[in-house]
Amino acid sequence: MTRRRSQSPGRAQGPRPQPARLLLPQSPRPLAALVVCGPQASLGSHDSDDSSPDNDIRNLWTRATLSQPKLNVPRSKICDDSDAEGSSLGSKTRQWCNGKAGRESDGGWEEWDDGEDKDGFRREDLHGHLSLEMELRRGSILGSHLEEDVDSETESEVSSSESSISISKHTPHRAYWIEQQNRLPLPLMEVMENEALEILTKALWSYRSGIGRDHFLTKQLQRYIEGLKRRRSKRLHLVAY
Amino acid sequence: MKLKQGSFLWYLYLDKLYCLLSVRNVKALLEYFHLLDVHHNNTLNDVLFYHFLRHVTSWKRTQIMIVFNMLDWNAMGEIGFDQFYMLVCILLAQQNHLEEQFIFRHSRPVFELLDLDGELRIGADNFHMYNFLFNIKKQELRELYHDFDITGDRRLNYKEFKLFTIFTMDKYQEKQKAEKEQGKTAPLKKKRPHRFILSSKLF
Repeated sequence: MTRRRSQSPGRAQGPRPQPARLLLPQSPRPLAALVVCGPQASLGSHDSDDSSPDNDIRNLWTRATLSQPKLNVPRSKICDDSDAEGSSLGSKTRQWCNGKAGRESDGGWEEWDDGEDKDGFRREDLHGHLSLEMELRRGSILGSHLEEDVDSETESEVSSSESSISISKHTPHRAYWIEQQNRLPLPLMEVMENEALEILTKALWSYRSGIGRDHFLTKQLQRYIEGLKRRRSKRLHLVAY
Repeated sequence: MKLKQGSFLWYLYLDKLYCLLSVRNVKALLEYFHLLDVHHNNTLNDVLFYHFLRHVTSWKRTQIMIVFNMLDWNAMGEIGFDQFYMLVCILLAQQNHLEEQFIFRHSRPVFELLDLDGELRIGADNFHMYNFLFNIKKQELRELYHDFDITGDRRLNYKEFKLFTIFTMDKYQEKQKAEKEQGKTAPLKKKRPHRFILSSKLF
């Protein structure tokens, strides 16, 4: 590991003027404002024989946020599944499901299945849309039950509790999805950590040969690598069980 | 240069128009950078940088150290995330054959990177040294200095360099158009025989 030296005679010794950072057009701010939030069309220019849909990390990204299988189903199927599981929602709810099924293209979960990173902001729109619809649904279910005859009060109590159960089944999905907004997907972290481990292990050999085993930087790197390995094995252990 | 298949960078991609990474990709890249930042300085020293590039690219040691010296514009012996991000964009531009577009879109930063001595002029030596980064062929380099050295000092200032990037971009777009048109006419030619066969069968 060397400190900065002059590389060849005649070259400037001191620091050069900093190059302009990569800027968006008409953007005065440096790096933080450089990134593009718009739709990311796939360049498709990876070697043609290389990427398959299963290996494309963009698929991993979208799939990782949909780890609960029922997240990626149309709303009508959710209603059908709930029915199949024995929780009859009642005719009003079923009507709601049938009505909403026709509007799935507006922002259903299945849009996530295309494997392309279309628009980073659409996710938040979908989230808002879904939360609003969940509220409306709850309201419509409860409201519809209030309108029924008194002698069906027992039936409405049962169905409202069942509908609240079915809603609560899907709320954890939303919470999980919200949490994932702030974290990178686990498969992506795994790829990064594995690669970092390989790189750092080779760097450790260079440190040992360059500055010796007893240097504090070598020891720091060694401890860091051990920490990474422990983290990785812990995660693998969790996945296995 | 080809990125190692299956490496983390291999999965990233640039926005076609601006040749930059998306927010999501930058976030992932930042995590990756922090994973490599073993000493918690928000930097990579030359050893870590070398092993990183050795792992993900097919560059040799001399090329890697040339890139390191180019990016270490503060002469600190370490690379920060800004420089790392620029490097990744250059790598991805090369991987996806977007060099012309990248140089056009980011002519100022590229010019300042190539301007090693800070003289606001780029000589042929600078270009030649970084040929492997931007994939500028010898013939193009000769044309560059022949056609765009308006001041005649055998070096390019920023304006001359910018003209070069515009010219290269135009050529690139024309090439793209020609390829598209070739792609359109080729399937049409293939279709005609089938149509003929079908019609002959009908009658």
